[in-house]
Amino acid sequence: MTSIDDDALETTDPYAENERLRARVAALEAELIEVQARANAAVAAAQERAYWLERWHIDLNALMRKPGAREFRAILRAVRAVARQGRKLKRRLGT
Amino acid sequence: MTSVSVVVPVKDGARYLGELLDALSREGPDDVLVIDSGSADGSVAIAEAAGVRVLEVAPDQFGHGRTRNLGAQSCSGELICFLTQDATPCAGWLDAYREAFTLDPRVGAAYGPHLPRADTSPMIARELAQFFATFAPDRRAHVQRAGDASFLSNVNACYARACWQEIRFRDVAYAEDQAFGVDLLAAGWTKVYHPGAAVLHAHDYGPLEFMRRYFDEYRGLRETTGHVEPLRLGGVLGLVGADLRWMSAQGLPPAQRARWTARSLAHHTGRRIAAPVGSRAARLPGPLRRGLSLEGRGESAAAPPAGEVPSGTPVRPWGGRKEDYMEAALVRAHGATPLLAPVPGMADAERLRIAMILPPFRRGSGGHNTLLQILTRLERRGHVCSVWVHDVMRMHQSEWPGVLRWNLREFFAPISSPVYKGFDAWQGADVAIATGWQTVYPTLLLDQCRARVYVVNDHEPDFYPASVERVLAEDTYRQGLHCIAASPWLRDLLIERYGASADAFRLGVEHDTYQPRPIARRADTVIYYARQGTPRRAVPTALAALRELYERRPNIRIVLFGDNTPLETAFPYEHLAVCSPEQLSWLYSQATVGLCLSLTNFSLMPKEMLACGLPCVEVAGVSAESIFGTDGPLELAELDPSALADALLRLLDDPALRERRSLAGIEFVASHTWEHATDEIEAGLRAALALREQAWV
Repeated sequence: MTSIDDDALETTDPYAENERLRARVAALEAELIEVQARANAAVAAAQERAYWLERWHIDLNALMRKPGAREFRAILRAVRAVARQGRKLKRRLGT
Repeated sequence: MTSVSVVVPVKDGARYLGELLDALSREGPDDVLVIDSGSADGSVAIAEAAGVRVLEVAPDQFGHGRTRNLGAQSCSGELICFLTQDATPCAGWLDAYREAFTLDPRVGAAYGPHLPRADTSPMIARELAQFFATFAPDRRAHVQRAGDASFLSNVNACYARACWQEIRFRDVAYAEDQAFGVDLLAAGWTKVYHPGAAVLHAHDYGPLEFMRRYFDEYRGLRETTGHVEPLRLGGVLGLVGADLRWMSAQGLPPAQRARWTARSLAHHTGRRIAAPVGSRAARLPGPLRRGLSLEGRGESAAAPPAGEVPSGTPVRPWGGRKEDYMEAALVRAHGATPLLAPVPGMADAERLRIAMILPPFRRGSGGHNTLLQILTRLERRGHVCSVWVHDVMRMHQSEWPGVLRWNLREFFAPISSPVYKGFDAWQGADVAIATGWQTVYPTLLLDQCRARVYVVNDHEPDFYPASVERVLAEDTYRQGLHCIAASPWLRDLLIERYGASADAFRLGVEHDTYQPRPIARRADTVIYYARQGTPRRAVPTALAALRELYERRPNIRIVLFGDNTPLETAFPYEHLAVCSPEQLSWLYSQATVGLCLSLTNFSLMPKEMLACGLPCVEVAGVSAESIFGTDGPLELAELDPSALADALLRLLDDPALRERRSLAGIEFVASHTWEHATDEIEAGLRAALALREQAWV
């Protein structure tokens, strides 16, 4: 009972309540600005990186959904792995 | 028994006409009418010998729809059959049609399959067989209603007179039967596909002729049903494979199969190319259309004969297409989207979320340069900014957002903000900034905004004669947005004429570029910003002034710049086209006098001339006085050729006056920087937020 009375006392002080809400709004506003700034920076960086893809209208997600795309990628990875091993071997033999 | 008339339009159809009329005589219709439109191969004699009625029309009066309407009018059967001159009815053809019209009380038309002749190529034979099989997989007659395929072919079709009288063939140049099929179903009639109503009919051409025929067919389909064939080359091998299987099933010997395989590849590839081109024939020049058409048809549709109401072409909605200015209509109908409740103290917040909404842009756009110079500086001050391109004219239709962003950075200023195209990813803002009249209406519809501001670079209604654009542009100033105008003149105009709340900002000058360059200034050179495509630049009056100047001082060197196309003038001049800022700064530093006129808001160019120490003539009584006063660095003159020539001569003939104007100009514009312009814009944004707070209280 006492705690409820205390809460009631707190909420009935209009100035304190006003200040508390103002502070809460300010904190939320600051958080919103931060989130928005980070989101903007991320989108801008992505646009920067994807410029040439966008210029040529290449949607990599759509491309990877095409039949055979996964297999093609797997082959590329395998070829790359073999080439890497080959280079490593060449270096060893060279030294 | 229901009476039947058969109508056969003919032009040079002697090859199959005799066979067709023989077959018809066996079927026994009540009446056969041949309509000849200028045959030179004895077709008329064949028809007369067969004892059928012949109606002759002038070749230039022929139209696929028009002539068939004439045929239907000229006969009396309750059912009217149409055959083409190379379609030979098979046994049982007429009985099948009579049966078709008993299958449903609302049957308006019926049609039957086209069977290949013995010498028909395998590609066409397979296509015909498989195509017609789709209408009756069980080989029985089928009634087709609204929602079913609208296909109908006047190669071999039969119509109930009542249905024809209600709908009639459209007077279109091609595919009148397809249009009838669409109209018939839409009007609540049904149609019947009857496999028994068969004719022998197939067109066989060489690969090139086939391409031209497909061009015609798909052009006709676009004109009548709105069908647009997509461009896709994939699937050709699949079709060739289908032809091979067909040939195998028909028992063709291997040598023939090999020969037809090559033709099949050419045929299907040609179709894949010709069909989409035909769908887009309207975009091609007339002579090219005529050249590609097998029928030699250059125009889109035949002209209707006098006294007939022309029929329109139905056009389907274009995917993703919006009506122009749809947002303006929405704002007018439903009002603006309500703003968010203000947050106390938001006008003084250190960092604001700012969304700038841009109209479409091109390299060299002065308005966009102003906006992005300011945006980069707002970013540097810590504000969280984003750019939204409202592509109202679909100028950037093929450009993705990353490309738009790259172009904005390349053309104007190195912004850090993300760039969005359209508003699908809209995320709200403290202030949404409209930047051109077309952007005001979408900005008014954006939600999650605390305030909306309108950066006004010019009085845009003056860009248009009496038009929707002019009316809508004027209305933007009455929508309650806080305006930040690009001159005191413009600010006052917005307040006085439209009752808007408005601040002003001063356009900045890029002083690193526009400064006196180390080059001797000539004493005989007048340079003029001659942008003929921009009416507010008063080019005709300025050219008249320069002509007068030339007549008075024939030794004067005149240089025109700002337009890639040289102008036709009555005086000699040097043409400099569009120059880069760097080039302009050197030009301004060398010339004697500059001429740059604006009949609306004062532009940046005279300021840039002044920054390079070039005295400049501007038109008096518009907007320049609001910035420079009546006796500032500018030489002002009335908008009159003689007055402008006088002003130019005053500066050319008086070195002391030139020097005074030059020094005053450099001094005056020294404080006109983009940093200062950004100060004023930022103050305007905060004023808009403060106004919201005050209104809320």
